[in-house]
Amino acid sequence: MRTIDRELEIILAHSTELTASGLDYVKLGLWAAGLPGSRILALDPKLPPAELEARLRAFLHHAEPNPVLLAALDPYHRARTIIRLLTEKFDINPELLAVVDLQEALGYQDPRACSLKAQHLMRLAASIVTRALPISAQEVPVSTQVLVWGESGAALKSALDLARLDYPVLLAFPGAALKPLTPGGPPAQPPDEELMALVRQVETHPAIRLSPAAAILDLQGSAGNFGVRLQSGPLVLEEKVGALILAPELVLEPVAPPVAHPRIISLTRLEEILSLPEEAAALWDPDSPQVQVALLAGRGGDGHPLALRRVLSAAGQLLSHENCQPYLFLQDAKVAAPGLETALEEAQAAGLIIFKVNPPPALSLDQDRPHLTFFDPVMHEDLALACDLAVLAEDYRSAPENAALAELLRLYPGPLGFFQSDNVRNLPVITNRRGIYVAGPGRAVMDLDQAFGEADAAVTEVQGLLGQGAATAPKGRAAIDRGRCVLCLTCHRVCPHGAVTWDNRAIINELACQGCGVCASQCPNEAIQIRNFTDDQVVTALSTIDPRLTPRIIAFMCKNSGWEAYHAALHLEHAPLPLGFTPMRMPCAGKIDIDYLLQAFALGADGVLVLSCHPDNCKSQLGNEHALWRVERARGLLSEAGVDPQRLLFKTLAPNSPGDFLAAVTQLTENLETLQAACAVASGAVT
Amino acid sequence: MNNPEKYSAVVLGGGIAGISAALEMARLGLTVALVEKTPFFGGRAARLCCKATDVCQQCGACLAADRLKALFQEPGITLFPHTELTQCSGDPGLFRLTLKQQPQVIDPNRCVNCGLCAEECPAFSQGAIITTAITQNHPRYAVVPAHCLYFKDGSCQVCQRICPPTARAVDLARPEQTMELEAAAVVVATGYQPADPKTRPHYGYGRIPNVITGFELEEMLRNGRGVRRPGDAAPVRRVAFIQCVGSRDQDRPYCSQVCCAYTLRLGRLLQHRLPEAEVSTFYMDLQNVGRNSPGFHDQARREIRELRALPGELHRNPDGAVSLRYLSEEAGRAESAAFDLVVLAVGIGPGADNRELAALLQTDLSTAGFFQAADPKHRNLTSQPGLFLAGTAEGPKDIAGCIAQALATARQVSNYLREK
Repeated sequence: MRTIDRELEIILAHSTELTASGLDYVKLGLWAAGLPGSRILALDPKLPPAELEARLRAFLHHAEPNPVLLAALDPYHRARTIIRLLTEKFDINPELLAVVDLQEALGYQDPRACSLKAQHLMRLAASIVTRALPISAQEVPVSTQVLVWGESGAALKSALDLARLDYPVLLAFPGAALKPLTPGGPPAQPPDEELMALVRQVETHPAIRLSPAAAILDLQGSAGNFGVRLQSGPLVLEEKVGALILAPELVLEPVAPPVAHPRIISLTRLEEILSLPEEAAALWDPDSPQVQVALLAGRGGDGHPLALRRVLSAAGQLLSHENCQPYLFLQDAKVAAPGLETALEEAQAAGLIIFKVNPPPALSLDQDRPHLTFFDPVMHEDLALACDLAVLAEDYRSAPENAALAELLRLYPGPLGFFQSDNVRNLPVITNRRGIYVAGPGRAVMDLDQAFGEADAAVTEVQGLLGQGAATAPKGRAAIDRGRCVLCLTCHRVCPHGAVTWDNRAIINELACQGCGVCASQCPNEAIQIRNFTDDQVVTALSTIDPRLTPRIIAFMCKNSGWEAYHAALHLEHAPLPLGFTPMRMPCAGKIDIDYLLQAFALGADGVLVLSCHPDNCKSQLGNEHALWRVERARGLLSEAGVDPQRLLFKTLAPNSPGDFLAAVTQLTENLETLQAACAVASGAVT
Repeated sequence: MNNPEKYSAVVLGGGIAGISAALEMARLGLTVALVEKTPFFGGRAARLCCKATDVCQQCGACLAADRLKALFQEPGITLFPHTELTQCSGDPGLFRLTLKQQPQVIDPNRCVNCGLCAEECPAFSQGAIITTAITQNHPRYAVVPAHCLYFKDGSCQVCQRICPPTARAVDLARPEQTMELEAAAVVVATGYQPADPKTRPHYGYGRIPNVITGFELEEMLRNGRGVRRPGDAAPVRRVAFIQCVGSRDQDRPYCSQVCCAYTLRLGRLLQHRLPEAEVSTFYMDLQNVGRNSPGFHDQARREIRELRALPGELHRNPDGAVSLRYLSEEAGRAESAAFDLVVLAVGIGPGADNRELAALLQTDLSTAGFFQAADPKHRNLTSQPGLFLAGTAEGPKDIAGCIAQALATARQVSNYLREK
């Protein structure tokens, strides 16, 4: 059924407690010892570490380390020390260490089923690990210069912190001078003191070069070694940078009054008036018994708590004049930020009158005064308000250059013109390209506290990537066959991480590559292979399926979702998985070839399950979509070959949804049972 | 006791913020002790359900699973489960922490999680043996001495006797441990306490069987057994969420920041799982949800009836449904409606031990009872050098916010230790 190419060291980390759950570990050990080319060590993981090490040393005495298969119950807890010793003391390459959790083999009524299942899992792991090649780490020289884009608080803090860690920083920003915005504060007035201090420190730090009036013209290369062309005023700079942090400042969206009139102004203008005593004095018309001011917030739909903070602080100033009555019109009071609920209540207690109206009030002019009409849902009637001043509050928006810049940098665009696609796997500062990070207002409207925090996180990422000028990358994980590559550049187009470039053939940058394998599965000429997920390795592993175990279900699972949900499900109380369930761990659903699906059936599978991450939850952005359309293609081919496509099931799920995993297995099992029943009826009709 | 174990930093709290901070500090090369009061790591975030419909709704609950897995494989972090801080002394800039670890009655090396001990424990319903749905933990059972009959009066040893002889994992004689740790930095990541739904007695929580909290709905959805009326297991068609339970009131004058988001996401998930369902939500002000809030609200509005009103007293109908009255903005008068299930969107309240813990650490609490940050621009710092904050211990935050702050805190700790 299977031949082992190399010797294999099997460690059965057992103690008597395995028997308690229905698995006879002595028999299992004897069976494993009989696997061709294998040696076996039974090791009690409860032994003291020194004893574990001594026994492992006696066992693993070869000069050339062989692959190791460690089988245990809950290995990452119980056999934690053994795993650590193997990887740290015995230098077993992680690719040459197969860890089998025997949990799945437990819980069957029939002890024979338990041992068959354990054998199946060990045989599968042995087949994979004996054909595995090590992936070693290599040092890649990188540039330590970092390009920080933007003039926001997050940009300034990132630049300064990086400079203090001895990274040369190029701080480029579109404006003429550094003028960060105080989120939730008046934009026209000098920024917050801490921001001002940051500006001064950034301007004087010797390791920071400032590039005002800048635009990024081009970006080549990849993580660690980007080549950037930068317009800086009249100059064009060519710079080498190891990483980029994007933190462009927010903008306030200009308001468009329905009628131009000096009594209809923006909040920025009101803040200006209130800050200038003589202008403010003109506001308090001595002839008018009461100055009525209407503040209109969130007219563009959803506002942001920071916008409300600005409005409330202006309202507070208005309320300090005894003959001023401010009104606030909004759809929802966006109070989801520290201190805002209290500020809102205080303003109301001080006399601010709030109308929550949707749609927003209609604003017109009546006798040279702003005139508002609206439906008051509380009184349930149409109301009108004549006021002396109508103030339109601006909303915060992303920097307008972001969309073009995202395209230039090959970043998936984020919502509302921000960087970073809307996918929690990226949180907080990661983008689809290694070496390009976002912080603060680069990715959302946020307060200074959060923006500073993200600057911290981005600095840690840069430090982790660039180190002291040498980055660590896996060596030989993705390989391009020069003879097969026809330079069609499919790989360049589909790589979600911008890791593929070319000269006279495609080149995969090993530092930028994240090993998802989307390119390998998409290459029309099969010129790319991902080490230890090569087509040969995967198909050979499929051939270990034991015909005695039915129904024979092969599950291809993305390691980030399906694989985790499968392991979580093993620990829930549930009916055991079908005996023939064969788990295949994939680096991403995007690495599941059509060929694997068809081969699985050719090698005797009754059903095939493909489990990927939910849309918008894929670490490689579109791996799940690739998997879905390949499943659809395979279904078509199966139909043509006379195999019912119901035997191939595709599901998306999350790593924390073991229930969804079990439901998918049940659904496929039921499909198979229905088909079998139909088959039985059909054959009965023939005889 | 004379030789305290030395760490760069001690993290108090093994929830999503504490785990994220610990992992990031380990990545920055620090040695970390992670102290968790309960026997299990993961905190509240790890017990929430995935809210994806056909697509991910970006709730972040899956992120806890990833990080827990990494936690148990990280050699730079020493874990202290079922452990509490009992004393904190030391010189400025050097904390000496005394910890008390509950007896580790169930030996992790021997337990196979068969669950017999919990099944047979006569005091299980009192919480003498607790278990967790967070499967990354091992063992997933723990004896709680405070409720265990053996620790009370020695009258029961059922768990020890029932544990399979080949495993022999239970040993009631194991003593509690006292440990001394020394660290230059301490991170408080002790999380929050959900608001008590009984503080709004007119909603009838605990009295009307089909009134539940958001957490209870999450649990129902997570275990995959489907959503049914808890009172009579009848199918659910009409569902109402009530917002701001334990937020934005006199006692808690702040917005909990997460309830609108989880309500609308859960509402959409219910609608997806039960296409026949009619989901309504009663609210004061809808807060932004996620990074694409306008897009999210557009979709939510199409699927969920949103009513700006907080209902008055809830009643139980003879057929088991829950009826409520509210002032309808649409109609301009009070209206009645009946629902199969009413879900109270409970908010984030300060941790139950905050007062005690703040006294031990000699730091302050905010008026709302959270740990007081140094200033609004640095919410992960305190007024005390070396004492840092992360996550909801400092104030309401969503999962994304907790993780982001925890990473920032780790960086701040690293900077602090370097400059010290």
